[in-house]
Amino acid sequence: MLEFRNVSFSYEKERPVISDLSFKIEEGETVGLIGANGAGKSTVMKLFLGLLMPDSGSILVDGKELTKEVLSDVRKALGFVLQDSDDQMFMPTVIDDMMFAPLNYGMSREEAEAKADEVLEKLGLTELKNRYNHRISGGEKRMAAIATILAMEPKVILMDEPTAALDPYNRRMVINTIKELPQTKVITSHDLDMIMDTCSRVILLSKGRVAADGPAEEILKDKDLLEANRMELPLRYYM
Amino acid sequence: MHMADALLAPAVAGVMYAASGVAAGHSVIKLKKDEDDKKLPVMAVTAALVFAGQMINFTIPGTGSSGHICGGMMLSALLGPQAGFLSMIVILLIQCLFFADGGLLALGANIWNMAFYGCFVGYYLIWRPIMRSKLFGEGAKGQRGRIILASILGCIITLQLGAFSVVLETTLSGITELPFGAFAALMLPIHLAIGLVEGIVTAVVLCFIYNARPDLIMDVDKSLIGSGKKSLKSVIAIVAVVALVIGGGLSLLASSNPDGLEWALFGNAEEGYAENMGLDEDDFGIASDAADKAESIQESTSFLPDYAFPDSDSPLGTTVSGIVGSAIVAGLAAVICLAGGFFRKKKA
Amino acid sequence: MNKLETALRDLSEMDRLNSIDSPVHRMSPLAKFLITIAYIAVTVSFDKYQLSNMLVMILYPAFMFSLSGIPVRTCFYKLRIVLPLVMAVGLFNPFLDRVPVMRIGSFVVTAGMISMVTLMLKGVFSLTASFLLVATTPMDCICAALRKLHVPSMLVTLLLLTYRYAGVLTEEASVMTDAYLLRAPGQKGVHISAWGSFLGQLLLRSMDRADDLYASMKLRGFSGEFAYAKDVKLSASDTVLMVLCIGAFILFRLVNIAGLLGSLFV
Repeated sequence: MLEFRNVSFSYEKERPVISDLSFKIEEGETVGLIGANGAGKSTVMKLFLGLLMPDSGSILVDGKELTKEVLSDVRKALGFVLQDSDDQMFMPTVIDDMMFAPLNYGMSREEAEAKADEVLEKLGLTELKNRYNHRISGGEKRMAAIATILAMEPKVILMDEPTAALDPYNRRMVINTIKELPQTKVITSHDLDMIMDTCSRVILLSKGRVAADGPAEEILKDKDLLEANRMELPLRYYM
Repeated sequence: MHMADALLAPAVAGVMYAASGVAAGHSVIKLKKDEDDKKLPVMAVTAALVFAGQMINFTIPGTGSSGHICGGMMLSALLGPQAGFLSMIVILLIQCLFFADGGLLALGANIWNMAFYGCFVGYYLIWRPIMRSKLFGEGAKGQRGRIILASILGCIITLQLGAFSVVLETTLSGITELPFGAFAALMLPIHLAIGLVEGIVTAVVLCFIYNARPDLIMDVDKSLIGSGKKSLKSVIAIVAVVALVIGGGLSLLASSNPDGLEWALFGNAEEGYAENMGLDEDDFGIASDAADKAESIQESTSFLPDYAFPDSDSPLGTTVSGIVGSAIVAGLAAVICLAGGFFRKKKA
Repeated sequence: MNKLETALRDLSEMDRLNSIDSPVHRMSPLAKFLITIAYIAVTVSFDKYQLSNMLVMILYPAFMFSLSGIPVRTCFYKLRIVLPLVMAVGLFNPFLDRVPVMRIGSFVVTAGMISMVTLMLKGVFSLTASFLLVATTPMDCICAALRKLHVPSMLVTLLLLTYRYAGVLTEEASVMTDAYLLRAPGQKGVHISAWGSFLGQLLLRSMDRADDLYASMKLRGFSGEFAYAKDVKLSASDTVLMVLCIGAFILFRLVNIAGLLGSLFV
């Protein structure tokens, strides 16, 4: 579904952020992308989304190579949940935001609204529908941001720190929501407990390379590996 | 400098709406032609930032007052004139709707006075020519010098134009009995001081941006990016020098008279400003220190020597209005204090 | 509390007023917008001595206040911003225009006094009218009305986005100001040594935000045009009401209602 083939990328010459990175994510998988600050997680996300173009190598989304020409096609299949929901929810109300993508992709007003209603209902957020984005709480905003992405019916969902700055209740709500989504998902986070709860597989990045790739239970239990890469065991393994 | 609805006659307001509308139409067409769809979010966020930034107090050393940023110049330096103009319109509209700064009917005039001059005049006649010139030499150092000069000069000139337009529009609307010359002599010096301070703040902020992200600033030589970084302290030193050169004796004057309006009204004749005021003790029926000062200026008054006040020889009129006048002078003094702060703080 | 925080409070106060339910709130935003513009235009068009003629214009805001349940107090709080400028200009009139027009005891009222009061009332009236519009109409509805009036969609979209982020960035700037002042006791504002970096840092961070915002739009199929959920319709009753209101304003302008009323009793 998603594939990196020998991808290299740098913002400034001589200082590669991603070097010769290769990995493959199958349809239906939920993959946690972890690594210390500056390991290249965000860059990988931006490369998938075509917000950055690789210096060398190729990126495949749904079997198609990512190029400028196919970008809008590819993006239709990708949903990206930003870390700061304020950046994502730029429309006045929640419903405006949810209809934004469907309308842009040619759905009629009625269809788009029906779609939005359906998603809100599924996530139990119906009461948020006509609320103003600048008047809802942080937790509600995060859930609404996920809803806006679901309304565009993506095949793959990419999430950047979906549980950052949430209280325990809202964090749990987001985790449960993620677990129920059938799509292929890539989640970057420093919240390894959340990764543990939601992901079957983990890719550990370090200095722009894959340091480890395997089942979540294996990697997230490996104290030495995590500490070598400036991370700690998830709390539950501290017993 | 936000004008209220009450200060404008509908005809003047309409003309200003039309003028601003033409400039806005031009901007929209130009930006559509550019087909840069990234511009919109950048404009929105920058406009929101300038909106918030206008509420930050920058204390002026040596005085008790504070300065603010000059929205128009900063926006056109960051976004270009057309995008800057539209962003400024939006800021003014939000201020007018939510903070009662200006008014719906006066919006056209306010856009013209603050956004048009700041963005179009400020950019095409000041920013771009200076930035593309060879002033201060080649290299990043010269570039920085040009940013400082253009910011300060731009803010001062565009604010003067704006203040002059306020006077013109109010007078044309027949709202005030205050004669054109006196009103202008009141508004322009204050805005000279305000423009100077705003220019300095704008210059320092743009220099900071130039050091960190030179690509964000219009008309800088991109090949110089990353060369010759300078500490902000030395930038401030340069800004201070440039400001002194531009402001000349004026900056000294302004700093010793923090309350610009008061100074403009009752300032000393030696500086040659108050003589343009056209204030006259006899005609006003005011007995005060200020009027005494004004009287000494009267001899050289040029604006209104023959201005005949209606009914000025009616004895009753003089005494009664003397009483009322005194009471109102007290009120006037209070309002002048308020208005001084108002001008300082509320200018875009 | 810093100035930014006051602005945030003002904004959320408006949100609260917007959420009241009343006949005025339910009116078409387009009708409200046009009525407001007409009201202000008619109000300021009164001659500077037509104080008594103009007083009748107070009926509209009075009517709207009572109908909408918006507290008058909130509105008058806003007057503090607009009145100083109007007064500064108007206060010269009594000095410069001293034709006596009437006498109350030994007190002579001059034309200049009349024109000063007229000017101030114009300021109060027009401010009140636009306050009533904003207090009863959420921003996205005002924008929908603007679109209906063929304001270019780029400008309307920019307005909505800026309004959305004005709150976010004002909050950021407010937090930064607090953080600054907590480490700089006794200072009233930002010291000259931090002038550039204070706003500059905020600006750089905002540019990153703009990048994210753009990404978020782009990834959801944005291609230059925005589509909105809200649309404005002008119902028959709204149209009738609008015509009645504007007609009444014009009548008030042409006929001296107060004078007529007065002549009934004198």
